[in-house]
Amino acid sequence: MKFTRKVAAGVGVALACVTVLAGCSDDSGSGSGGTVTLQMVESLTNPARTTLLKSILSDFEKAHPTIKVELVSPPTDQADNKIQQMLQAGSGIDVLEVRDLTVGPFSTNKWLYDMTADMKDWAGWADFTDNAKAVSTTSGGTYFISSGFYGISLFYRKDLIQKAGFSEPPDSWDDLLTQATKIQGSAPNTYGYAFRGGKNGYTNITLAIEAYTADDIDLSNAYRLKNGSSMFADPRALAATKAYLNLFTNASPPSAVAWGYPEMVEGFSNGSVAFLLQDPEVIATLAQSTAITKEQWTTAPMPVGPTGKSIQPIATGGWGIAAASTHKPEAVKLIQYLSSADASLKFTQGNSMVPVIRGADKGDLYKTGPWQSYLTMNAAPTKYISASQPRGVSWWTDWGTKADADIQSVLINKMTPEQLLAGWDKYWTDKWASGAK
Amino acid sequence: MVQKPLVRRRRPSSLAASSDGVPGEGSGVSRRRTFTARRGFIILAFFLPAALFVGVFTYYPIVSGAQMAFRRWQLSNLIDNPWVGFHNFVTIFTDPSFGTIALNTVIWVVASLVPQFIIGFALALWLRRRFRFRGLYQALVFFPWAISGFLIGILFRWMFNGEFGVINDILIKVGLIDKGIPWLADPTTAMVAVIVANVWYGVTFFAIIILAALQSVPEELFEAAALDGASRTRTLFAVTVPYIATTLALTVLLRVIWILNFPDIIWAMTGGGPANQTHIVTTWMITMTQNGNYGIASALGLIIVAILMVFSAFYLLAIRPNKRQIG
Repeated sequence: MKFTRKVAAGVGVALACVTVLAGCSDDSGSGSGGTVTLQMVESLTNPARTTLLKSILSDFEKAHPTIKVELVSPPTDQADNKIQQMLQAGSGIDVLEVRDLTVGPFSTNKWLYDMTADMKDWAGWADFTDNAKAVSTTSGGTYFISSGFYGISLFYRKDLIQKAGFSEPPDSWDDLLTQATKIQGSAPNTYGYAFRGGKNGYTNITLAIEAYTADDIDLSNAYRLKNGSSMFADPRALAATKAYLNLFTNASPPSAVAWGYPEMVEGFSNGSVAFLLQDPEVIATLAQSTAITKEQWTTAPMPVGPTGKSIQPIATGGWGIAAASTHKPEAVKLIQYLSSADASLKFTQGNSMVPVIRGADKGDLYKTGPWQSYLTMNAAPTKYISASQPRGVSWWTDWGTKADADIQSVLINKMTPEQLLAGWDKYWTDKWASGAK
Repeated sequence: MVQKPLVRRRRPSSLAASSDGVPGEGSGVSRRRTFTARRGFIILAFFLPAALFVGVFTYYPIVSGAQMAFRRWQLSNLIDNPWVGFHNFVTIFTDPSFGTIALNTVIWVVASLVPQFIIGFALALWLRRRFRFRGLYQALVFFPWAISGFLIGILFRWMFNGEFGVINDILIKVGLIDKGIPWLADPTTAMVAVIVANVWYGVTFFAIIILAALQSVPEELFEAAALDGASRTRTLFAVTVPYIATTLALTVLLRVIWILNFPDIIWAMTGGGPANQTHIVTTWMITMTQNGNYGIASALGLIIVAILMVFSAFYLLAIRPNKRQIG
């Protein structure tokens, strides 16, 4: 009898555990009273942005009382890996931040829901700029709706260039080299250019190469020339690379070999560095600097190449839906809300991004101070040419890792610029020839 | 004189009782069958939850991960994962960076372990003495072990920054250097920097374990050594070290495994750069994972397991005589 009771008790406990665990794993998100809870994961996390997003989500919940949104905000460095794991697991995620870097592999693996049918008659499209519509409908479907753009501009110190005898900021890469070289060492701990030798260092050298080859760039693939070859094979690419490397040799701190985003922004923010090529999100960071005042710095358009042109490689991200989500209609409502004119403007302005809403850049915010350079670039589309880098390909991260290591090899004299460009040309030519996406 | 029976008679166990509650003496076959079934069932009932738990959460992921090493498993297409045999291993061994990475791994382990051991041992000896605020000192010394390795890496990355870092600032102020060293920009100094950070972090572990072992050494042994006129050094090597030798040996083994499997500091400080020159096997594995080359990352994981198994086997064989000596 005792034995039977023990077994019965054991089975009972086991069943209770299973029941509890099953309860825990219920990810249907349907609460009492017909309320649906959406799990949303952001990728480009930072505290100020998360607060802003939460306030917009709160507005959405007020407008849609039957839908709740739980926002998950992993650290930026790990966010895309975390999102990927959740998508692979097929649960715990309804709405996610998709980037131009991740839309390729995520959609190839069928982890993203194609919103084309849901968005076909969406009135919000009328408010979107042509660029925003175009990036939202690439990759063979509508896998995300763009939430804003990250353009590049040249942050510079007005006081330092004046002291060095220049009345205007650099217009070209050559000007930049001249001014940065003159400023370098003009005072203790003063450097010309915040050179990016560390993580994602390849992004800046490719800007220089694109500017030098701008006349012949294929606008649908800014790594390729109109004749079909990679831009790295062109002789102008070597001139651009050498000019760019001179910025390191003549005008940058020696430890910039290892500088990534934090060091570059810190260098400019603490007043040590005169020039910085960065996204507009840095505007908000620099506004909080205690070392330099708002009067000491502003932005200029991207430097142009020898023929007076540059390529604007516009980066973007936006909101998408997991293919495995069981609440797609509610998720679509959320994305339509986030992409509506009011919510979108609140998000892009609060987060220092180039807006996706038509005419928003005509507002007062974009006419003054550091935002002015974006207007200047938009007003001269033949000088600052918009083109798409192939950021959506599945091997983009692999490319970034290889390219970063190669640049550092050149900086520490383990590779020549010629070898660097030959390797990059072969890499891209082989990838395109293989037909991989 | 009563002679004890040579073989003790087994007490009838409650588990051996037959279903009617009467001990099954003399009922041969049926008794054995009933006993085996019940005993087996109970053993199974106790064994099964743990086995299931370990099987599902430990062995299944290991086996599942291991088979990825023999497939083409890439982020670009996770739907089609064909079997590729040893191709991922060939890719690793023929990579131009492999030699540097293998050498870096050895340097990383040895150059981190030896100073950690020596400084940790010295700290433990010092903390064993009774002095005022010893508890506070112990807490301060042990504190780094409670911090995330990744965070320590970020802190040291800024400390070793060539322009804004505190290390250069101190070295210039004490007159050791004239201008800042770009620590993380040069492969050699970058390797030194990550090892310094790791030594700082790992000293605590040795100090904790060795201090615990030292506190188990009986005072009588030290008194006997003092009576015999042994010097402090002689007492250390003739009494203290032999007594705690097993703990030391196992601590070193554990630490080797952990240091080899510890990419956090390098990842946060250099990301394996400049130009892949500070990568060790585990940071390389992270890079491969981030690049979406899961098959290669998994193969690297298997290589690490194999290296550690071989090392552990040889190491345990090597320290066996010492164990006998102590026993």
